[in-house]
Order: sequence, then structure tokens, then C-alpha cells
Amino acid sequence: MLLLDYQNVLIESLLTDRFQGGPPVNIDQVVSDFDGVTFHISTPETKTKILVSINVKCFHELVQYGAQAVLEREYGQYIVAPENGYDFSVQVDLENLPADQEGKDDLIRRISLLKRNAMAAPFEQAFDEFHELSEEASKYTSESAPAGVQEGGEVRAIHYREEEAIYIKASHDRVTVLFSTIFREETDRIFGKVFLQEFVDARRRAIQNAPQVLFRNDPPLELQNIPGINNSGSGEIGYITFVLFPRHLTKQRRAEVISHIQTFRDYFHYHIKASKAYIHSRMRRRTADFLQVLRRARPENEEKERKTASGRTFRVQS
Amino acid sequence: MASHTPAVVMDNGTGYSKLGFAGNDSPSFVFPTAIATKSAGGGAGGSGSGRPAVANKPSFLTGGAGPGGHLSGKRGTEDLDFFIGDEALSAAGGPGYGIHYPIRHGQIDDWDLMERFWSNSIFKYLRVEPEDHHFLLTEPPLNPPENRENTAEIMFESFNCAGLYIAVQAVLALAASWTSSKVQDRSLTGTVIDSGAGVTHVIPVAEGYVIGSSIKSVPIAGRDITNFVQSLLRDRGEPDSSLQTAERIKEEYCYVSPDIVKEFSRFDRESDDRFKKHKVTYPNGKSVEVDVGYERFLAPEIFFNPEIYSSDFLTPLPTIVDTVIQTSPIDVRRGLYKNIVLSGGSTLYKDFGRRLQRDIRHLVDARIKASEAKSGGAKSGGLDVQVITHKRQRHGPWFGGSLLGQTPEFRSYCHTKAEYDEIGPSIVRRFALLGGPGST
Repeated sequence: MLLLDYQNVLIESLLTDRFQGGPPVNIDQVVSDFDGVTFHISTPETKTKILVSINVKCFHELVQYGAQAVLEREYGQYIVAPENGYDFSVQVDLENLPADQEGKDDLIRRISLLKRNAMAAPFEQAFDEFHELSEEASKYTSESAPAGVQEGGEVRAIHYREEEAIYIKASHDRVTVLFSTIFREETDRIFGKVFLQEFVDARRRAIQNAPQVLFRNDPPLELQNIPGINNSGSGEIGYITFVLFPRHLTKQRRAEVISHIQTFRDYFHYHIKASKAYIHSRMRRRTADFLQVLRRARPENEEKERKTASGRTFRVQS
Repeated sequence: MASHTPAVVMDNGTGYSKLGFAGNDSPSFVFPTAIATKSAGGGAGGSGSGRPAVANKPSFLTGGAGPGGHLSGKRGTEDLDFFIGDEALSAAGGPGYGIHYPIRHGQIDDWDLMERFWSNSIFKYLRVEPEDHHFLLTEPPLNPPENRENTAEIMFESFNCAGLYIAVQAVLALAASWTSSKVQDRSLTGTVIDSGAGVTHVIPVAEGYVIGSSIKSVPIAGRDITNFVQSLLRDRGEPDSSLQTAERIKEEYCYVSPDIVKEFSRFDRESDDRFKKHKVTYPNGKSVEVDVGYERFLAPEIFFNPEIYSSDFLTPLPTIVDTVIQTSPIDVRRGLYKNIVLSGGSTLYKDFGRRLQRDIRHLVDARIKASEAKSGGAKSGGLDVQVITHKRQRHGPWFGGSLLGQTPEFRSYCHTKAEYDEIGPSIVRRFALLGGPGST
């Protein structure tokens, strides 16, 4: 598994199972997803009505960036009033499903992507803003452009974890996505550095049209005036910058790019952990090899002291 | 950090792994503890288990031309090319992948594979960041402390999990029985009968601690019942006697009878509603009907009369349970008789608990009567035998873990990453007893 899935596997398998028309059962599960997202899947009224609720830490920020519109576009008629303690709910009635298999699959896919869609709003908004800005910018030459067009729009901050955030900024020729990330562990930090170096190198080596990736420990210039940025420049916090160019922002690429970039942090941490697992397995292997060498080094028949029945010892005269 | 996130409960058994979050009443995922890896494709040192290819000799023996020499060629991601669970079973059907079972007899056998199994369970299925969650893992009784340490090394060093608690499956099964209405006091004393696919264990637990010297296992479990049903179907010459059909019949129709002789005559008298027909539908659309007869009550009967199935193991389960309790310390025996808890898929037959309770009570009463006669006049106060059947038997240990993992004090029982860094892996040799005396 190289990439993480975007959808929640539990919701997907649960709905697939239910949609196939098995006998209705009660469901009541609270499950987590990455980044402190909590889902509640339940059948509160009858066994045929499945309610899926989501709780996202930064939902008020997402709403500010137009999450409601995105969710309404995706879920339309399935939206119900949010369950108590959750931010957003959709309800599916098993007796009122799309008739064809394709429609069902699409519905399953969309509901299992609930987290992705909720988080997608600021990205979509930024991408739209980029298109507006680039249109506006095309009216001017680089000198005559008013300051607003040159510098681009506001920075959208999503504090999706307690100490980490995504910042998105649209300009007329690119969209910049910044991750602030924190490493609790000394080892992880080192692994992280190696990985990020690889990201930077990948562009240099082979994949020219990948987005540009930058990594630094102090806040980049884009974030200068944002409140709540830790300016200490200590090694714990890192800032990873993705620069998305117009070719990444075309209509047909958009959805894919958003999904990819959202999972970046989890992807990153998953691979740090997977590399550690790999190194551990090599260490185990090597220890086993050393033990084998040690065993081989032992003399085959050790000279044992022999005793007579009365307990006296004797030595063979040479 | 991990303030509100539910704890992750993972119960990795020999056959199936149960994964989920504390507070739920059923695991989110139940799949085989299997991992399919790419078979070594002629690599120099690659072993069959898909471990990284390391040269056979350490580098100082090969003059420095060891594994370091071709490290640059190792930018690949072969170590991530594997599947777990049901996907592993289907991948192993195709070419290129070999299937492995990292757990043998309840204990982790291959740590490399287990580490990767966990990594995939956490990131692909549960989708959590281990740094944000506490973990509750299970272990079989008599698990060596070294295995615990290895587990802790993986959980803390690879995954940096926020906190870890390792509980004994039998103790969790006792905790799961608290949902039954028969249980009044939430004590952790009792006898656990844990019957899964491979083997049945009878484990006495006193105040949350397993009495290791008295554990007994019975080589009769779910798989044997399936085989027995299959052999009965074969003997009768049924049109379909495959293992799957036998398993379906076992799960759908079998029950425990109070007395086989009476049950036989009852079948002959009321044959219409006792004999059933099981319909098997094949993927190609055809279907056949299989008669289901005496195996309905004969199959689970092999727990009580093993001689009808096996010729080398002849002790009935009630006798084993009685022996286990009799070999335990005398001051806990009363508690062990009073709280016999069932756990695992092979204890789900209807009336299994009732029959077991009756048989054990017979044994106990006979013994009391004999000693009363010997003592010449003394009267015994009697002994209470109670077998507890509850709704969560199938995933008993997992459910017990979920129950205990959602309690507010669970986190204080865990060992945290900071404590691990301070003391080292040996920290997990001891855990405070979760749900034991003193906790609510």
C-alpha cells in the first residue's frame, strides 16, 4: 500500500454490505479517522435508515470557506439536521436507494468520502480564486498590476489538528499550500528530513511537472502576518510548501489534486512509520545472522571432563 | 493530544483479528490474521517471507561488499507490497503472493510480518494516527514477557502510540460477561471457557490474575465440529458435503441437547419439524438440497462425549472444567464455580451453557454427597455452580476490551510513550489491573 485511501473503509464496507439487501440490523458505531475526525454511524429511528455524522475539529473554519455549499452539492437530498455533538449528518434510507447498481456505488463512494469533501472546501475556494485572479492579471502587464492582484488573496488557515495547520493562498499564477507539521520524536524528525529531501530531489531528478516542494523550519514569507504562527524557528515545527501551478489546477485534475494533498500529512507519517518497520525487520534479520555466526564459531565437540563412577577424574595422557 | 480520541482495541487471534474502537459494541473489522507478501523473486538473500534481502554474510566477512554495496538500488518500495486480512486470502489465490499467518497458537510467531500487519491495520483499516490514540492489545494466557516487550517495542518505537495496555484475553472475557443480567458483582474471578477455531482453553482467573498452573486445554474446537459434521454428511452420501456446507450447517442448525438418547427418539417421533433441509446455491446458479438430521445435536455433543468423534481424547468438557477448578487454590474455588464464563465462537450453540452447568453440578453434587457419607453425619452447605451465557460471547475478549477501554480511568492504567522512553521495554512486564479492585 503506497498511497492511503481517501475514503473511510469502514463506512464503505458497511454501506456496501447494507445496500446488498441483507436483513436490516442495528448499527451504532463511533469510529475515528485521521486528523481527529470522528464519525458516528447509527440507525436511530428504524433499522433501514442509516445516519452518518461527522465531527471535524475545524468545522467552523471550513464553513467559513464554503464547506456548506460543497457538502450540499455532494449530498443534496441526503442531508439532515446535524446530530447533537456532530457537525454534519447525512441519512440514507435503505428503502429508497438509487435503483441501479451504479447509482448505489456512487452513493457509497460519496458518503465514504465525507471527510475528504468536508475538507475540500477551502481548496476549491482557493482554486476558484486563482482562476479569477489569473483572469484579472491577464489584463495587466507585470508592472502596471495593482498590488492586490500581484500579491494574491488572503491566506486560508485550517487548524485541522491541535498544533498543526494547513494554509492555502491563491495568487494569479499559482496556489500555495503550506503545511505546518510537528514532530514529537527525535527519530521521526530525522526520517522526516530525509523524506522531504526526497520530495525536493524527485522534481530535480525525474518528474519535472510535479509541484514544487520546499521545506524549512521557520515560517515562510507567505505566513508573515498570520496570527498564531510560532516564530521560534526551533527544530520541532517544520513548514512544507507545495506550489501548485496552473497545470495542476485544471478542471479535470482538480478533484484528484485536492484528495492527494489532503492526505499528505497522514501519508507522510505513515511512510515514516513504514520505514521504521522496514529498518526494524532488517535489524532483526541481521541479529539472526550474527547469532548464526556465533553458533558456527562454537567448537564442535567440547572436551568434557570425564568422571569415573566413584567421582574421580582422569586425563588422557598425550 | 490524545484527549478525546477513543482507544483502539485490537484482539489479534490465531484465526481472526478483531479491530475497533473502545465504546462500540462490536468490532469495526474482523478479518483473518493473514498477510500475503510477494514471494522472493530470486533475490540474493530474500527469504520466502518477503523480508528484505540482506546478504547472507555480514559485511565484515564478505570484505565490505555486503549489503551496503547495493543499497543505492534499494529505492523501491517492495516492503509495502503486501495485503492483510481478506484481501490477503484473495491475493494469495493469484500469482506472485504467498500467504503467511504471523500468529501461531495464539502467540506472535513472526514479528516482521506482525509489524507490517499492524501498520496496515492501523493506517488502512482503522485510519488513525497512532500518536493520537491509546491502544489496548490482548495476549493469550502464559504469554512470555519477552513477547510483551517485543510488542511494546513495535508499538512505541515504530508507531509512537500515545499509550499502551496489554490485557490477557481471559480476563477481558470475564469483563465482557458483566453485560449479562446474571452477574451481580463485577468481580474478575471466574473460569473462562474459550473455544475458538483451533483449540479450547479452560482458564481459571482469580482477582484478575490467571492461575497458570491450572490451565487445561482440550483439543476439540470449532474446526473439529465442522469436520465431524462433514464426515456425517459424507457417510450419508449427501449431494454436497464440502467444508463450507458443513460449516454453514454447524452455524445455522446445531444445538446442544440435554440427553442424546431422548433426543434420538424425539427425532424419530417428530421427524417433520426436527429434520431440516439446507439449500446450497452455487455461484453458477445451480442449487441442491442437503438433509440435516441427527448432526444438529450430535455435533456439539463431542464436547460432552468426545468418544463419538475422537479415539485419543476422551475426557468430557465438564470433567475438565471440574478438574481445573479442583486444582486451583482452595480459597478461590467457590468463586470459580460460581462464575463460569463462555467465550469464543464455538460456545454459541443453543443450550450449551445450560448443559455444561447441569453436568458440572452433577459432578460437584456427587462429590459432596460422597464426602458427606465419609464424614459420617456432617452436612455441606452446598456449592453454587453457574455458567454464564451472554450476548457478546463471540467476540468476548474484544468486547471486554472495548468495555474497559472506554472507562475514564483507562488512560491512567496505560503505559505512555514517555514512561517507555524513561524505563525501556521492561516496563510492560507489569500492568496495573484494569477493572480490578479499587477501580469503579
